[in-house]
Amino acid sequence: MDVKINKVDNKFDVILTGRLDTTNADQFQKDIEILMEGENPDITLDCKDMEYTSSQGLRMFLMLQKSVNARGGKLVMKDMKPQVKEVFDITGFSNIIKII
Amino acid sequence: MPEENYGLDLHCSMILDEYRCNLAVFEQMKGIVMETISSSLKENSLLVTALESRVKAEASLAGKLSLKGHKYRDLADLTDILGVRVITFYSDEVDKIAALIQEKFEIDWDNSVDKRKQHALESFGYMSLHYICRIPESIFKDPAHPEINTFRFEVQMRTALQHVWANMYHDTGYKSGVEIPHEHIRSLTRLAGVLELADDEFSRIRVQINDYRRKVQALVKDNNFDDVPLNGDTFKSYLDLGPFDMLNEKIAAINQAEIQKLNLMFFLDPLKKLGFSTLGDIEKMKAECSDYAYRLAVHQIGKTDLDIVSSAIGLQNLCITYIFKHEGTVKEMTYFLDTLNGTSDYNRQQAERLFEQINRLRLQDIK
Repeated sequence: MDVKINKVDNKFDVILTGRLDTTNADQFQKDIEILMEGENPDITLDCKDMEYTSSQGLRMFLMLQKSVNARGGKLVMKDMKPQVKEVFDITGFSNIIKII
Repeated sequence: MPEENYGLDLHCSMILDEYRCNLAVFEQMKGIVMETISSSLKENSLLVTALESRVKAEASLAGKLSLKGHKYRDLADLTDILGVRVITFYSDEVDKIAALIQEKFEIDWDNSVDKRKQHALESFGYMSLHYICRIPESIFKDPAHPEINTFRFEVQMRTALQHVWANMYHDTGYKSGVEIPHEHIRSLTRLAGVLELADDEFSRIRVQINDYRRKVQALVKDNNFDDVPLNGDTFKSYLDLGPFDMLNEKIAAINQAEIQKLNLMFFLDPLKKLGFSTLGDIEKMKAECSDYAYRLAVHQIGKTDLDIVSSAIGLQNLCITYIFKHEGTVKEMTYFLDTLNGTSDYNRQQAERLFEQINRLRLQDIK
C-alpha cells in the first residue's frame, strides 16, 4: 500500500494506492502516524487506486476514525472501487466511516 | 505608585488596607471553594448552567465602603469579598445545590437570606438564595493562615431565568444612577412574575418528561413493545437490551469475527422511514427476517476471510431483507441506504448488488 499525504494546516489529502492487508498493515500504521496528531483534523482518503482491504485494513481505518473523533475532526473516504466498498458494506463498516 | 484611597475616611481606608493585605488569601479561598463545589456537583451528577466566582475588585469595595463603610468594624464584617454564584437550569435544583453547600461549608444562618421567600404573596422581584459561608477546617486548614477558616464568603444560588432578570434589573435600574419611573419598575416586576411562571413550567415539563421516560422504560423492560412508540428515548432504552446481540454473534461466528461495538441510534431515522412506528414493529421484523439476515451474511462474508464486523451488521441485514420481503424495489433499497449512510452514488450500486445477491440466494421464499 502506497500512502501519499498532502498537508495544508489541519487539512490532509491522502492518496492510497494498492492493497492493504496483514503484510503491510504495520507499515501503513507508520505511514499514517501524522494523521493521528493534532486537533480538528480534516482528512480525506482518496481510495480510487486502492485495490483491496483486509480485516487488518478495516482495523486501521477504525483506529483512525476513533482517533479523529476524539480530536473533533472529520474523516472521509472517497472514490472507492466497488470491490473495496463491498468489504465495508458487508461488515457494517459503511456505518462507521463516511464514504462518499 | 502610591495606593489610591478613593477619598475614604480613616476607618474605611483601614478596611481597604486590610483588604489589600488579604487579597491573596481570598484568591486562595476562591480556589478551595470552587474546587469543593465543582467536585460536589460532579459527585452528585448535578448539571448547572454556570458556576462562577470573583474576588471583589478594589474599586468596587471602595465604592461600597464610601456608601456604608460605617456599618463594618473590619474586613471580616464584609461577607461578599469572595462571591460565588451557582446558576441552575431548574428552580427545584436551587434547593439541591443549597443542600450541597450546607453539607460542605459552615453556614452563617443569621446573615443568609432566601430572597425567594421575602416577597409578599402578591409581589414579584429578585429571587435568589444567598448563603453566607465559611470554609470548615475539615476541608482546608493552614495554621499559617487561620483567616481562611474565619473570613466569610457569599454563595448565590438561582435559576438561569432568575439570573437573567437580576442582571437586566441591575443593568437597567439599580446601577444606572438615575431614579427609574414607577411604570418601568412595574414592567420589570411584571417580567419577574412571567419568568417565575416560566421557571415553574420548565420544572413541571421536566417532571412530566421524566414520568413518561420511566413509564416507557418499564414497558420496554416488560417487553410490551407493541405499546411503545418508536422515538429517540424508547429506541435508546430498547438498544440497551441488546436486541440484536444474538444475531450479531451468529453472524460473527461465520468467520469467528470480532464484533466492533457501535451505537445504533443512527438507525432510528431509517427505521421510521421504513414505516415503523412502535418497537413492536422492529420485533416483528426480527421475528420475520432474522434467518434471512443471517443467510445473507453467510453469503456475503462466508466466502471471505474478514474477521471483523460492526454491531450494525445484524440490524442492517434485517432491514435489507425486510425491504425485499415487503416487495421493495431497488429505488426503495437505495432510499433506505441513503437514509442510513448518507446520500451517495454508491447506494444505488449497493442496492442493485443486494438484489442480485438475494435473488441468487433464492431468498424469494421470504416473500
